[in-house]
Amino acid sequence: MALEGLYKKIEAPFPLSEVLLSKADDEQLKLIAAESGTGLSLDEMKMLVAYFKDLGRDPTEVELQAIGQAWSEHCCYKSSKQILREFVFGIDSPRVIDRGDAGVMHFDTENVYSLRIESHNHPSAVEPYGGAATGIGGIVRDVLCMGCQPVALIDPLFFGRLDTPNAELPKGTKHPTYLFGGVVSGIRDYGNRIGVPTISGSVVFDDSYTGNCLVNVGCIGIARKEHLYKNRVGGIGDNLVLVGGRTGRDGIHGVTFASAVLTGESETESRGAVQLGDPITKEPVIHSVLEVGRRKLITGMKDLGGGGLSCVCGELAFAAGFGVEVQLDRVPLKEDGLLPWEIWVSESQERMMLAVTDENLEEVLHIFKFNDVEANVVGRVIPEPLARVFFKGIKVLEMDLKFLTGGPEYCRPREIRKPEYGTPEKAPARDVSHTDALLELLASENICSRDWVIHQYDHEVRGCTVLKPLQGALGHACHGDASVLKPVEESWQGLAVCTATNPWVMAIDPYRGGKAVIDEMCRNLVAVGARPDAFSNCLNFGNPEKPERLGEFHEAVRGMGEAAAKLDIPTPSGNVSFYNESETGSVMPTAVVLGTGIIPDVRKSITTDLKSDGVIYLVGRTGPEMGGSAYHRLTGASSPKVPDTDLEVLRDAMKALLIAMDEGLVSSCHDISDGGLAVAIAEMCIGGRKGAELDLESLGPLPEEAALFSESCSRWLVEVPRDSAERFEAILGPAATLIGAALGDELLITRGEEILVSASLTELENAWRGTLWRLMGGSE
Amino acid sequence: MKLEDIKVCILRIEGTNCETESYQAFERLGAKPEMVHLKQLTGQDVRESEKRSITDYQILMIPGGFSSGDYVRAGAIFAARMKTKLAAPMEEFIREGRAVLGVCNGFQVLVEMGFLPGIDGIMSPVPQAVLSTNDSSRFECRPTLLKYENNYNCIFTQKIKSGQVLLIPSAHAEGKLLFPHDRAEQIYRQLEDNDQIVFRYVDPNGEYAGYPWNPNGSPHNIAGICNPSGNVMGMMPHPERVFHRYTHPDWTRGFGSEIGDGRAIFESVLDHISKKF
Repeated sequence: MALEGLYKKIEAPFPLSEVLLSKADDEQLKLIAAESGTGLSLDEMKMLVAYFKDLGRDPTEVELQAIGQAWSEHCCYKSSKQILREFVFGIDSPRVIDRGDAGVMHFDTENVYSLRIESHNHPSAVEPYGGAATGIGGIVRDVLCMGCQPVALIDPLFFGRLDTPNAELPKGTKHPTYLFGGVVSGIRDYGNRIGVPTISGSVVFDDSYTGNCLVNVGCIGIARKEHLYKNRVGGIGDNLVLVGGRTGRDGIHGVTFASAVLTGESETESRGAVQLGDPITKEPVIHSVLEVGRRKLITGMKDLGGGGLSCVCGELAFAAGFGVEVQLDRVPLKEDGLLPWEIWVSESQERMMLAVTDENLEEVLHIFKFNDVEANVVGRVIPEPLARVFFKGIKVLEMDLKFLTGGPEYCRPREIRKPEYGTPEKAPARDVSHTDALLELLASENICSRDWVIHQYDHEVRGCTVLKPLQGALGHACHGDASVLKPVEESWQGLAVCTATNPWVMAIDPYRGGKAVIDEMCRNLVAVGARPDAFSNCLNFGNPEKPERLGEFHEAVRGMGEAAAKLDIPTPSGNVSFYNESETGSVMPTAVVLGTGIIPDVRKSITTDLKSDGVIYLVGRTGPEMGGSAYHRLTGASSPKVPDTDLEVLRDAMKALLIAMDEGLVSSCHDISDGGLAVAIAEMCIGGRKGAELDLESLGPLPEEAALFSESCSRWLVEVPRDSAERFEAILGPAATLIGAALGDELLITRGEEILVSASLTELENAWRGTLWRLMGGSE
Repeated sequence: MKLEDIKVCILRIEGTNCETESYQAFERLGAKPEMVHLKQLTGQDVRESEKRSITDYQILMIPGGFSSGDYVRAGAIFAARMKTKLAAPMEEFIREGRAVLGVCNGFQVLVEMGFLPGIDGIMSPVPQAVLSTNDSSRFECRPTLLKYENNYNCIFTQKIKSGQVLLIPSAHAEGKLLFPHDRAEQIYRQLEDNDQIVFRYVDPNGEYAGYPWNPNGSPHNIAGICNPSGNVMGMMPHPERVFHRYTHPDWTRGFGSEIGDGRAIFESVLDHISKKF
């Protein structure tokens, strides 16, 4: 056997080996990396060989596993860091308070809010219910460990088409309806149980996600400034107190699983990498952690996520310039017989690590006992920047934290493809009337009503949700652009929350796609009356070792960074998820943003539903930029020409609209995105139980389908009461074009004398409402 | 007694999750709410200074949530834990005319404990009803409209006009109020005769309607009931979520008052207690 003689047993009352890297050749190093499940590359194994050569010894298997976790793509961002640093890390703002496990932003003089979004893609592809639930658990801990009360959840989801025939599924892949149903149930049962409202999200269906669904999970928290904590220990001698769930064999090698492509065997090989969630352990953990935080009984804290104890102990201590000594015997286990390396890297859920001085220890332990949550001192902060780990009296790990937590960083080769603007447009493959196209778009999987999902999530618990995901007349509410929370009891100031993504545009042109995502986020926030304040991003891409995939990533991040910098919107937190590939190929490049905005008075929030008999303006310019549009997907057309964003035009329009809204001149507003102007006005009609008549003559000489269905950026439809029209026009200037009015019970869109679209409210609503119910079962 | 002297026990265990907004509803009206863990009443794992007695309070509220996960029938675990130590003090509490409110999971707990519908004494030895799985078999978070149908027996609704329709949202998976099959109609008649039916689900026209306006399929559209003496009320929808108009689902479409439809329930009980004690 190729590895014979390379594992040397160490004398101990439990199985423990030394891994003789010093005696291994390259082939054997590769085999060791594979067999240990660490996923380390040959170059990385050689870095280990050199490190231990200097120490004059070989690593224990615990040390090898610890490196495997810490250096995974998931933990150390080795392929993305350099690109992120170039384009987004530099966008700074005095409004940013901290960039820890979650980003922290100024809210008002007394309060801050925090935000983060991350992926839980691979676990959800293998076990949708548990994968999604633990995704929620993890993102909640990221917000909690800053000292913040979690107040909102946000879930953008991506699956294959729900009507995919079984015969077309790749081997080992689960059907999209099963994945979608399982993921929604997982989010529902976890989120609803811990009492955090799910207020925003999105669902996208496309063939590229069939083999590798994407489950992104976001969380928003709120705290008083004095209750914020850093993700680091306070000082030497602090106790490390592990609180919450017990440690087991679930979730071993989760981060290495997340850092490899999915295969037909992922189900059987990696089921053990999926953690098990328990919301009813989490709920009292949230209570207790917030209480010890408010009472200043801790010096710092961090959640246990990817890499488990190994990552949390090292990072907590090293961030403060110290080290840590840990006794693995003191970690409470779900079952006997775990090996020390398993305890050290397990990603079992519902766990947090707190740093506590001797003086406060008794009180902290009491608070956890009061709430029936386990809490145990497992280690202590030491002055040397080392991690030293013992099990049953035997030292199983001693490593320099700088080496362990540093991780490699790569400038991998990338290939930046220029979008092929020269290629001719492909005409629609079928002839469809504009009215039918509108009705078909409303009924399409990617635009139809999400009420099948939304009503399963509690979006109102905590009693702070001022604008909900569905907005409009009772029984007819339609999609909103953003939700609004009133998070502080004493203040009317609101926090608007939205998501944005457009993988179809990004797939054609990642740079413009990057800008378009930021544009859409801004449109959504401004549509409810909020000033865009910050965003967190989750960047879901393919295998970064392929130059073409990394090229897409580079261009997308460049576009996002350029837009965010120009608009002064910092990104205090984010997440990169690579290796979203399966045997059928890569997912579309999918950048998802979780945007937050500030609205000075929630009582001025604006919803999408038409309110009265106001006049309707189009804000922004419409161009024949149909590439990546829903209309093209519907009709089988294609074009390389995707919408571009003029950032100055966007900035000025946002500013003007917010002034008009603050003056009370706007009664409803909707951003124009998927399906273009026609879908936007139809949604406003549905939610408002009100018809509209629009004349698109003033949009200029555009093809009819572009006038109706183009997804040009930086546009909104705005309803203004007639007596406010003059003032509105004075503020918006030429950015706003009067195109019609709300009236009657029919949507009529004309260009001059010619009728483009004519449909009754009932036709619009019926088309829009039923699709997910039909595909997923259940009835309204 | 003065409003500011009225003490409200907001009772919680693990998985209770509507305690903050419930607390705020009473606090905004000037009463003295306190969040109390069940262990503070039973005395387990707590310090002397943390112990509380139920007689310290005039109002007991059991808020919504998923107590202990609701992995058994909703509310059953919370109720079982309360019963072992608190059955007798609770009976006394109710006999004295103090107020008990259960919302959503709290309603389920009160039914499991036998305090509601309470047709054979203050506390039935075995539950006389159950809040069963919604007809849709799904969790339903949606706006619901409640018609006030009590003839002023219930102390939680004195400030609501007879026949008034209130928007109070629902969010539950188990809200269908069922009685034992062999006596279902008889118990229902008793509830009507005793003036125990407080709210029924209606549609925007004020008519009794099926799903989705009745989100769980509750027979006779029952959304909330009280005990025969009117001082114990349970309801599935969440009045604490609509204390202000600005958390109503359709407030941007215009409204008459900034007051939310749920506020009257909290005002009514505080008014009653301040006059009674």
